[in-house]
Amino acid sequence: MAVSAPPTRTRPRPPRAPAGPFRAVPRRVRRLDAAGPLAHLLLAAVTAASVFPLYWSFVVASHDDNSVLAGTTPSLVPGGHLIENIQRVFELSAFWQALGNSFLVAGTTAVSNVLLSSLAGFAFAKLRFRGRDFLLGCVVVTLMVPTQLGVIPLYILVTDLGMYGKLSALIVPALVSAVGVFWMRQAVEENIPDELVEAARVDGAGLLRTYWHVVVPGVRTTATVLGLFTFMFAWNDYFWPLIALPPENGTVQIALNQLAAGYYTDYTLMLAGVVVSALPVLVAFTVLARRIVSGVMAGAVKG
Amino acid sequence: MGRTRARRTLGALAAATSLVALSACGGGEAEADGTITLTVATFSDFGYKPLIEEYRRTHPNVVIKERVSQFDQHHNQLSTQIASGGGAADVVAIEEGYLPKFRAVKDKFTNLADHGANDRRGEYLDWKWQQATLGTSDFVMGYGTDVGSLAVCYRKDLFARAGLPTDRAAVSALWPTWDAYFATGEKFRAKVKDKAWFDSSGNIFTAMMNQTEFGFFDAGDRYIGDSNPKVKEFFTATARATAAGQSANLQPFSQQWNTGIKLGRMATMTCPAWMTGLIKTAAGESAAGTWDIAAVPGGGGNWGGSFLTVPKQGKHVKEAAELADFLTSAAAQKKIFTGPVGALPSLVGVLDDPEVEGAAQDWFSQAPTGEIFASSAKSLKPNYRGTKDQQARIPFGNALQLVEQGKADPAAAWDKALAEAAKNLR
Amino acid sequence: MAVQTRPLPTGRPGPPRPRRRPGRSPLPYLFVAPFFLLFAVFGAYPLLQTLWVSLHDWDRLAGQGEWVGLANFRRLLDDADFLTALFNTLSIFLLSTVPQLLAALAVAWLLDRHLRARTVWRALVLVPQYVSVVAVALVFSQLFGRDYGVVNGALQGLGLIDAPVDWTADTWSSHLAISFMVMWRWTGYNALIYLAAMQAVPRELYESAAIDGASRLLTFRKVTLPAIRPTLLFTVVISTIGGLQLFAEPFLFDQQGNAEGGAEHQFQTLTLMLYKYGFINNDAGYASAVSWVLFLVIAVVAAVNLVLARRPRRP
Repeated sequence: MAVSAPPTRTRPRPPRAPAGPFRAVPRRVRRLDAAGPLAHLLLAAVTAASVFPLYWSFVVASHDDNSVLAGTTPSLVPGGHLIENIQRVFELSAFWQALGNSFLVAGTTAVSNVLLSSLAGFAFAKLRFRGRDFLLGCVVVTLMVPTQLGVIPLYILVTDLGMYGKLSALIVPALVSAVGVFWMRQAVEENIPDELVEAARVDGAGLLRTYWHVVVPGVRTTATVLGLFTFMFAWNDYFWPLIALPPENGTVQIALNQLAAGYYTDYTLMLAGVVVSALPVLVAFTVLARRIVSGVMAGAVKG
Repeated sequence: MGRTRARRTLGALAAATSLVALSACGGGEAEADGTITLTVATFSDFGYKPLIEEYRRTHPNVVIKERVSQFDQHHNQLSTQIASGGGAADVVAIEEGYLPKFRAVKDKFTNLADHGANDRRGEYLDWKWQQATLGTSDFVMGYGTDVGSLAVCYRKDLFARAGLPTDRAAVSALWPTWDAYFATGEKFRAKVKDKAWFDSSGNIFTAMMNQTEFGFFDAGDRYIGDSNPKVKEFFTATARATAAGQSANLQPFSQQWNTGIKLGRMATMTCPAWMTGLIKTAAGESAAGTWDIAAVPGGGGNWGGSFLTVPKQGKHVKEAAELADFLTSAAAQKKIFTGPVGALPSLVGVLDDPEVEGAAQDWFSQAPTGEIFASSAKSLKPNYRGTKDQQARIPFGNALQLVEQGKADPAAAWDKALAEAAKNLR
Repeated sequence: MAVQTRPLPTGRPGPPRPRRRPGRSPLPYLFVAPFFLLFAVFGAYPLLQTLWVSLHDWDRLAGQGEWVGLANFRRLLDDADFLTALFNTLSIFLLSTVPQLLAALAVAWLLDRHLRARTVWRALVLVPQYVSVVAVALVFSQLFGRDYGVVNGALQGLGLIDAPVDWTADTWSSHLAISFMVMWRWTGYNALIYLAAMQAVPRELYESAAIDGASRLLTFRKVTLPAIRPTLLFTVVISTIGGLQLFAEPFLFDQQGNAEGGAEHQFQTLTLMLYKYGFINNDAGYASAVSWVLFLVIAVVAAVNLVLARRPRRP
């Protein structure tokens, strides 16, 4: 890890670990206000509001249809039909396949967004090349382009390229985004000192090596957040998969949509689907959150 | 150390996912062994599962996949697929309300007459066949599946509370015309103040419009919604009854509508054959015997029913046409009617079948559904739909909603409907 | 776009940057190439094609019709529905974005202290993001149901309203309900972005503020806010782009699924209008004109954002 070791500082610099929401800040780095009871109370209210619709989905999903519909206001107490409804979800739609598809699409786009965005962000933040400012301006402008508005031509294009109905129709257009490039440029700018890049050059490291050994570790936490959000965007995307994939080979959102395919919408079934589709992400990110915290702690201690 | 490991994991993950993605993209329908795959796309359950099983036994070289979507999405998807020339299923159901839209691009669909469809002409109800041929003599767009002949479902217990007869013949006699239907509604509301007469003004208006030979468009596909006296008559009658409080103001097919049925917030509902299943599911088993079925006011009418079409872009048009033929055959339609889906057949022979004619629904107080729906299906006249029929209907539906919400009186709503329809049709 | 290349406010002043000489290596171009390549194919091409379509009479099914020049755009300006949709879009955007970002700041501020079970709080705040938009719309249209909705039940229980509110029926109520949906979904997301930025604020700044005896709120205003301004700007731009393209929430809020946005289009956003003409009426030419106007609206609002956010100079 010689390359990534920071060079002797020429000026006092606050020890700044890369920023990230799941980062646990060691006490010695920065004084934090202790949270009083009021802060805990307020946070409890906020999280209760955040969790309530999911809880309510769970409640409806645990009833049989009639009992939910019977009351004048819906019940807030779970019933005993959750397993049965979840079983029906898997019977009535290709939910396993949809889960696999969603993980594949969301995982691939998350990883590629992180890699390609930080690569471009590195170039924009630290390298000088002709037309750089112009190209960066282009990125910012494309940030405002509502790409899904050209959905019909996009659909025709995807069909012509032979990607209709394949997961590549979702993955390829989303491999890298303007938001990611813009965000990672900012992260590289803020977190990687120029001296570090220069030191790597003096050491004889090529640009790719510098990228991999200096930039990637340096912006790891922001990159993780970007990956996380990209994953969730892809996971939750509704409009485009509905058009680009046939229902029998869809993502989780399409499978959910399938559950409402009849004239009569069975809400216990649909919301059981919602619970099933939210659970893997919830579990994955709870696990991942701990990973990130511990990873950053280790990095902070070493650095 | 944690860093290196994390990075290695990231790299491995990237490699793995992109590999899987690539292999997933590289696939396609493997058809080297001579089997072919046909996809059948429908909206809601058409009851094809057992039929597909049966077809597989006689055609071992055909693999059939089912694709079921929500009603509007199904048709919008087909539009997109037709527009871009790819992605459509081999056999695609089109509902009668959407059929006119696709009439303009009928050259994108296989003319089933080229695959022997004309041999089946005599089997079909005449008006259903005319819908399928788009009024031409040499083009068959699709094989008719089911029809949706109209009736009125009513709550016997609420009728009893209002002092109205509950026997289905007597109830049918209450409303030979829609005027009589609304007048009965007034009588009902005078006695039973906490219940509405019908579920939604939109559904009543739709039923009325479906009973006319020409509604919003004339035979030349010209918009006549603003000049056809029937449209104004139907709209005004519905709007007045709504303003008088006869509507339960429930958006059709919404959750509120489902709950409204469950809680019995209305005494009557317009009831095409396929609606009976919906009412039964929404009201639940415990409501068995409270509902019954009577004749629809104003003579027979049809609402709904579909056609199986074969888009030209498919790879196996011939085999797809054969499958569509099978799925709409007399034997198939009878099986579907007697099965859980219970869609009403569109073939004269099946409608005359004693088993179909004698069918009754226990849940609906043993109503003889075979007799009620089958006999009215045979006496129907075709109901012409313009190419842009839906675009004309939506503003009228919106205007009725304004009456339900108390935002417009019937006259103002009518003016609004005309203006909006004119705009929506340009 | 020189604004973007200026050193960001949190950037450290330092010696002249030792950067590589321009034009030496093709590698930097290779680094940015994937983005531009993909954007050209899947972003720019469809958009230009849309512009081409908007200049024609173009039925989605039948395809290209005759060249009509700017007629579709002229028709749009005469269309009262367009003005309604423009108003709805901006109204829902403002109603959802402003409180959302303020709430996110407050939540981030609360999270940026010593808390028991810190990770759990942060994970819980992000829960709305795990729930698919279909589910969000479904759950919220139930909560905001006219007849048996929880919101009406609560308001009536508190004695705030006499009769149940038909949330979809009126402009104010539908905008409020939809904005609430959007707010609920995105507040936690923005809070975590702010939190990330707040944790990068140098410690000395807080220390000197503490020495000066500044209150917690004053410290937040004078130290934290200026320090995270680039991030604020980032979220404002992203929320603007997302907020002006709102589709799923208003589309699914109306259970009819016909993109009318209510009987009087009281909550039809520009994207819903685009969907109505493009996918229901099959008038691709008109829908493409709506696309382009929407693009221009987004560009203008985003530019206004940038100007407003950049105007006060660094302290």
